[in-house]
Amino acid sequence: MNRYQFEDLISEYIENELSLSKRKEFEAYLEENPDEMKLVESVRSNMSQMKVIPKVKASSDFNDRLFNRIQTNRAQLDRPIPSQRTYFGFSPIHASLMTGLVIATVFVSMQLFSPEDGGLPLQTQNFANESLPTLSNPSLQKVNHPQPDFVKVDEDSVMEDQKSKPNQDFSKKMHFVNEND
Amino acid sequence: MMKQNSSNLSAMSLDKQNKPFIYTDEQLIARFQSGDERAYVELVNRFRDRLINFVFQFLGDREQAEDVVQDTMLKLYVKKHYYREIAKFSTWIYTIARNLANTELRKRKRRKTTLLSHMSRDEREYELPAIQPDTGSEVQSEFAEKLIQSAIHSLPEHFKTVIILRDIQELSYDDISSIVGVPLGTVKSRINRARLQLQAELKDLR
Repeated sequence: MNRYQFEDLISEYIENELSLSKRKEFEAYLEENPDEMKLVESVRSNMSQMKVIPKVKASSDFNDRLFNRIQTNRAQLDRPIPSQRTYFGFSPIHASLMTGLVIATVFVSMQLFSPEDGGLPLQTQNFANESLPTLSNPSLQKVNHPQPDFVKVDEDSVMEDQKSKPNQDFSKKMHFVNEND
Repeated sequence: MMKQNSSNLSAMSLDKQNKPFIYTDEQLIARFQSGDERAYVELVNRFRDRLINFVFQFLGDREQAEDVVQDTMLKLYVKKHYYREIAKFSTWIYTIARNLANTELRKRKRRKTTLLSHMSRDEREYELPAIQPDTGSEVQSEFAEKLIQSAIHSLPEHFKTVIILRDIQELSYDDISSIVGVPLGTVKSRINRARLQLQAELKDLR
């Protein structure tokens, strides 16, 4: 046992809480170091002195003053204790607020997204149903815009490609390697 | 109306002297929770002196200690429904008193008052020799008490609490562990180290 271990066990030794083996070890250390006995005795003496320190007592009017204070605060004290019940960890007020918020969110979502329209926003659906605005001036409606030349050229080239590549039947040209054998 | 209620409470405390309660602390608080105010009076009578003694060791001022215990008892009255019988009643009430005493100490530190308990060792040595230890056994004993009390006050908070609860209030290690809210092993270790530190302080002062 070293000095630190010895100091750690002083209280338990004085209060007789050491196991037999530890106690023997402790006493062996004391025999080897007689000066340490002074420390043990000093701690023991302080403990016993603390136990006899005169006790302070309450003054004679302690109860009267206390009861007067209680009566003075009676109005405040008599208020009903708020309920400690919780709903999913929320107090009743917070739970009702949360429920209101959830209902509002669901309602707004239902307004925004119509289930019949495959999730299209309601606003978009209205636009889709509306007829496109027409030009009021009939002369403007009949105007034929000439197509640019490159469009015609492009159409011609496509037709030419189709003419030069007739539908060819390659079935007669195909044969398996084994057939020749 | 108020005066009548006040006198009812006082009368109940007097009534107690004729018919002493045979209930445990836990039974009393249960009765008080169900509305029996005589049980409250009995609890006050049982704990006021113990708590004043405990808080006095913290604050070193009798009047302040009494005010703190008044607040503790008022809190017991107001918060009676907060007690659950998972811990001993004494543990609960000591915890309230300790917290209020700590709050008072913090306030005091903010006000920077220089009570004896907060003086440096040099200042204490200047104050204490006013009583000479060799003028008679009574005075000598008083001198020793003052030495011990100032040594206790000089301990760090976490040492002071446990040593007061153990060596002055004589509570069990288990109860101290519940009041302070630390494991039993830590309580034992703190008490041992507090005793050693106290011994060192007193060795210097004697």
